[in-house]
Amino acid sequence: MNFLRSVLVFATIFAFIGISNTATADKLDDVIKAGVLNCGVVLDFPPMGYFDKDNQPAGLDADYCRDLAKQLGVKVKIFNLTWGDRIPSLISGKTDVVIGSTSDTLERAKSVGFTYPYFVFKFQVISKKGSGIKVFDDLKKFKVGAPLGTTYETEYLAYAKKMGWGRSNYTAFKSENDGYLALYQGKIDALISTNANIATKLATKEFKDFEAGPFVPDYDDIVGIIAKRNELAWIQYLNLFLIHQIRDGRFAELYQKHFNAPVPPEMIQSLRDNK
Amino acid sequence: MGSLFTPLSWNDTGFILQGVLNTVYISVLAIVVGSVLGLIMGFIRSISNNYTNFVLGSVLDILRIVPLIIQLILFSTFVGVIGHPLLPFASGSIILSLYTMAFMTEVFRAGFDNVSGSMRIAARSLGMNYRQSIRYVVLPIGMRSVFPSWMGVALSVIKDSALVSVIGYMELLRTSEQLITRTQQPLEILLGVGLFYFLISYPLSEFGRYVERKMAI
Amino acid sequence: MGDYEFHWLIVYQALPQMLNGAFVTLHVAVFSMLLGIAFGVLLALGKMSKYRMPNIIATAWVEIARNTPALFQIYMAYFGLGAFGIHLSPYMAVLCALTFVNSGYLTETFRGGFQAIPRTQYVASWSLGMKKVQSYRYIILPQMFRRVYYPMTNQFIWSILMSSLGILVGMGELSGETQRLQSLSFRTLEFFIVAAIMYYVITKLVLFSADIMSRRLFKGEI
Repeated sequence: MNFLRSVLVFATIFAFIGISNTATADKLDDVIKAGVLNCGVVLDFPPMGYFDKDNQPAGLDADYCRDLAKQLGVKVKIFNLTWGDRIPSLISGKTDVVIGSTSDTLERAKSVGFTYPYFVFKFQVISKKGSGIKVFDDLKKFKVGAPLGTTYETEYLAYAKKMGWGRSNYTAFKSENDGYLALYQGKIDALISTNANIATKLATKEFKDFEAGPFVPDYDDIVGIIAKRNELAWIQYLNLFLIHQIRDGRFAELYQKHFNAPVPPEMIQSLRDNK
Repeated sequence: MGSLFTPLSWNDTGFILQGVLNTVYISVLAIVVGSVLGLIMGFIRSISNNYTNFVLGSVLDILRIVPLIIQLILFSTFVGVIGHPLLPFASGSIILSLYTMAFMTEVFRAGFDNVSGSMRIAARSLGMNYRQSIRYVVLPIGMRSVFPSWMGVALSVIKDSALVSVIGYMELLRTSEQLITRTQQPLEILLGVGLFYFLISYPLSEFGRYVERKMAI
Repeated sequence: MGDYEFHWLIVYQALPQMLNGAFVTLHVAVFSMLLGIAFGVLLALGKMSKYRMPNIIATAWVEIARNTPALFQIYMAYFGLGAFGIHLSPYMAVLCALTFVNSGYLTETFRGGFQAIPRTQYVASWSLGMKKVQSYRYIILPQMFRRVYYPMTNQFIWSILMSSLGILVGMGELSGETQRLQSLSFRTLEFFIVAAIMYYVITKLVLFSADIMSRRLFKGEI
């Protein structure tokens, strides 16, 4: 009887340890224990993410991954994702966090957890010089493209629907780069993208004949880092990380590095307001 | 920031080669594993009754009828949801192998069915036991006739392995896409990629036809 | 199921859009098949002809179509041709690529079909006073299509499945539409499970109707 009881006690203790282990070990612990941060970035979205000439990940998002890993004291492994890959990669556990300019819509927040915003974009049109696109409503007469499943696609299509333009002049692309390639080749007349990306593209000699056009009306794209929705402690850590990036001046430093310009005060203000 | 667009250079050779090797690697793996599993399943199907065959056939049907691209996305998401995330290579090879298996099963089943009942009976009447008759008669004769269709499936697997790029495996096509993004030279790179697939696939398909012709006589 | 909660309601609400995508899938598959058959017959005749030029063209077409991935061909039609200033829409690019591959495979199928028709059939039709075109139209082609009916069905199924690659050029067929819908709500598993079921049902329906059609078309023959 004694023996049976001690077995029972041990079993209970082990079970308890087991349960408490699964209950407390969260993503933050997992990452530190594993010694590797699996960080997803969209590397087709310069200057936030792109490949440099050695085919290595570069850009502000990639640098944020490296900073985060450094703060955690772990190594970083950067995964190249398409827009569509972002959530599957989180849910499938391939990535621990995705720093990929994800717009914080309430619809998406039903599925993933968002941190505080870390960047603000405006949606803008890029087209060939002299194409005659002056205001956003001019787009009706042109062949327009946008990357599939992005917030700017949604915004454009919603606007087009409101104005009764129909979809016949619209082409979707699997990625941002495919869109730019199509614009470059002349497949489309105008591409909806973000002001940051457009500015970067215009600085290259390939896009010297192009110009930035009107903005998508009344829309600020506020983006956050995403993680699994239930990893609250992890998301809290990420929030603090973002606050520190701004407080320690690292954000301003990286902005300068990737945009060749000082960070606009409105952006910092907007990031603070949207917390 | 560094420059966004840089032309293709000799530094990229290693990078491209890695993509090529990854394509070869996952294709060979899927063909080998898929063939072994297909051989087993084909054998089971050829000896099973109608009921078992119906059930097996329905399961294999799903693998053949749902587009590979959707199977890949579903599987790699699913394994993560149940808490066992896999690397793109692992999810990719599992699905590609199962997909190969589904087609190989039918190939081998046809091979087994080709060996007529009287030939099996003849083998048994020579004093062979069941195992021996399978090992020395059914397998060798059945397998010889399936080689051309086996080659057909294997070739399509090499080509379909390009789809594993959608879940992030850096095979040849995804490698080339990354280079296109960086260089904005789609035509040159795509032609190179096409040529590579052709150089692997064409000699193999010619070989398949050669064997088919030889066996036809 | 770990900690994943399924949300089916949102998929249900998006069903009309998915069905619309499924319609586009069928649409592009049917057209690529019809065009593929037309080109396939021509190429098969080209391959069997005694002239050099048609033979070379047909052989090159068939070998390239059969020995490169469909995904590559779609990229080529989309961005490859774009480099020459030929701009196809995603739909047209997928249609062209699928037609190219379909005709490549069907050529070999048709050639086998033609060769299986005994020489005497040709001679007999000529002796009835038919012209060459007439003999093909009334005697040879009907018999050939009967022989290649099942491989053709398979090719059609292949077209339906391969049109899913439209997702990679932003086409709005079933897979592309699913991809768009899932990125709005991030409900990957739910949307793709429903898409998989739709492909299964479509394919089974096609196989079923092909079976019924074959019974009506070729009563008791072959």
